[in-house]
Amino acid sequence: MKTARIIYEDGDHKWLAIVRDTSRPEFLIDTNEYLVTSDGDGMLLDPGGSEIFPAVFSALSTSFDPRCIGKIFSSHQDPDVISSLPMWLEFNPGIKCYLSWLWQGFVPHFAGEADTFVPIPDNGMEIPVGSRRLRAIAAHYLHSSGNFHLYDAGAGILFSGDVGAALLPRGEDGLFVEDFDRHIRHAEGFHRRWMGSDKAKNDWCARVSALDIDMLCPQHGAIYRGADVKRFIDWFSRLEIGVLKT
Amino acid sequence: MTSAEAGRELRRMVRINEGIKSVVAAAFKINLMAMNAIFLAKRAGQSALGFGVLSNELRSFAGDLQQQMAALREATSASVAAVTVLVKQSRVSRLLERAGVEAQGESKTLIQELLQLRAETRLAGSNQQMATLNRGLSHMIADTVQLVELGSVLARSAKIEAAYGGGFSVALMQVSSDFEKMIGEIRQSLESLSGTQEEDFVA
Repeated sequence: MKTARIIYEDGDHKWLAIVRDTSRPEFLIDTNEYLVTSDGDGMLLDPGGSEIFPAVFSALSTSFDPRCIGKIFSSHQDPDVISSLPMWLEFNPGIKCYLSWLWQGFVPHFAGEADTFVPIPDNGMEIPVGSRRLRAIAAHYLHSSGNFHLYDAGAGILFSGDVGAALLPRGEDGLFVEDFDRHIRHAEGFHRRWMGSDKAKNDWCARVSALDIDMLCPQHGAIYRGADVKRFIDWFSRLEIGVLKT
Repeated sequence: MTSAEAGRELRRMVRINEGIKSVVAAAFKINLMAMNAIFLAKRAGQSALGFGVLSNELRSFAGDLQQQMAALREATSASVAAVTVLVKQSRVSRLLERAGVEAQGESKTLIQELLQLRAETRLAGSNQQMATLNRGLSHMIADTVQLVELGSVLARSAKIEAAYGGGFSVALMQVSSDFEKMIGEIRQSLESLSGTQEEDFVA
């Protein structure tokens, strides 16, 4: 069973993290889902794989009416990111799914009609959620060749998809990173293997360093906040990536 | 439809397609044999006029059979597509049922309403479509059986006509026996195809 935790709240503008599925079978990778709400409008970020839909749905609906989810943001095309799309479309067939134009012909194999998908151009775009405007930020080749992160300037939150992800062992499953040096060991192998382009990594680090970020929220593992955000970006910029073995 | 039922249905379609392949191969051979028989009848002249007419009819029969098999193949493709939709829908239903178990309060009601609506509309519609496709398939196979009966009659008549073939009688008799044999093979394939189609359809 997952739980929905509010990580940011300012009036009607909220960020919910749906995390830590304790009943998840071992063979499925654990994922974090996020919901951004504003003025009754909801956008679900990387809604997760179809197998974990029941857990995400029940956790999310404790805090938000799932019928009010009008948008889905898919950082990339992986099944643990977006294969639950058919289930969300059951609740609201009018849901718009924002994802890289590159995957526009691929993700519909999971579900959806031509007008379900809003292609994000390579340089990103603004996405409205209620009265807020969030920014899809290019993160191509980190790891997917058509990859986006989502920045909410009002909340100071960057949803960073697989960047910042850590595969945490049982028992080390806090919502936030508490001990950076200890935590980053669980992120190192993942980043070395999954992130393939040094050039893309350095470009991302330079662009993201210029943003005002209070929380960096990955799709797997714990959330970086405060000084740990910069620590992570610095660590990532120095990391040798695109290698098979550490 | 469970995955085991879907698997059974897909295997059934594979067997039907195998049956179709062997009928198509036999029809192709009949077409060639009929063409040779037409030339032979021409050489035999006046005494093999009837045999020539029947060989022409057997060539048309082979063409009709090939067309019928193409239509059958299309029908099995549509059935496979319908099974795929059913499998997808039943997976969605299964996940929604699990969500219903875990959800509480209003969201539980929401899931139950959605499941009921799906059962009444989508799943029922897909099951109905599957049943319609299967009925269509059965009718097409029955029509093909009729067509092959006609082929048998033509082959038997050709054998009778061969007896009047004068000096070419032995050669014509051989050709008409080959026709009969080939149509016998088609009949066997069709019987096995009908048997497969009559297996319990599950949707």
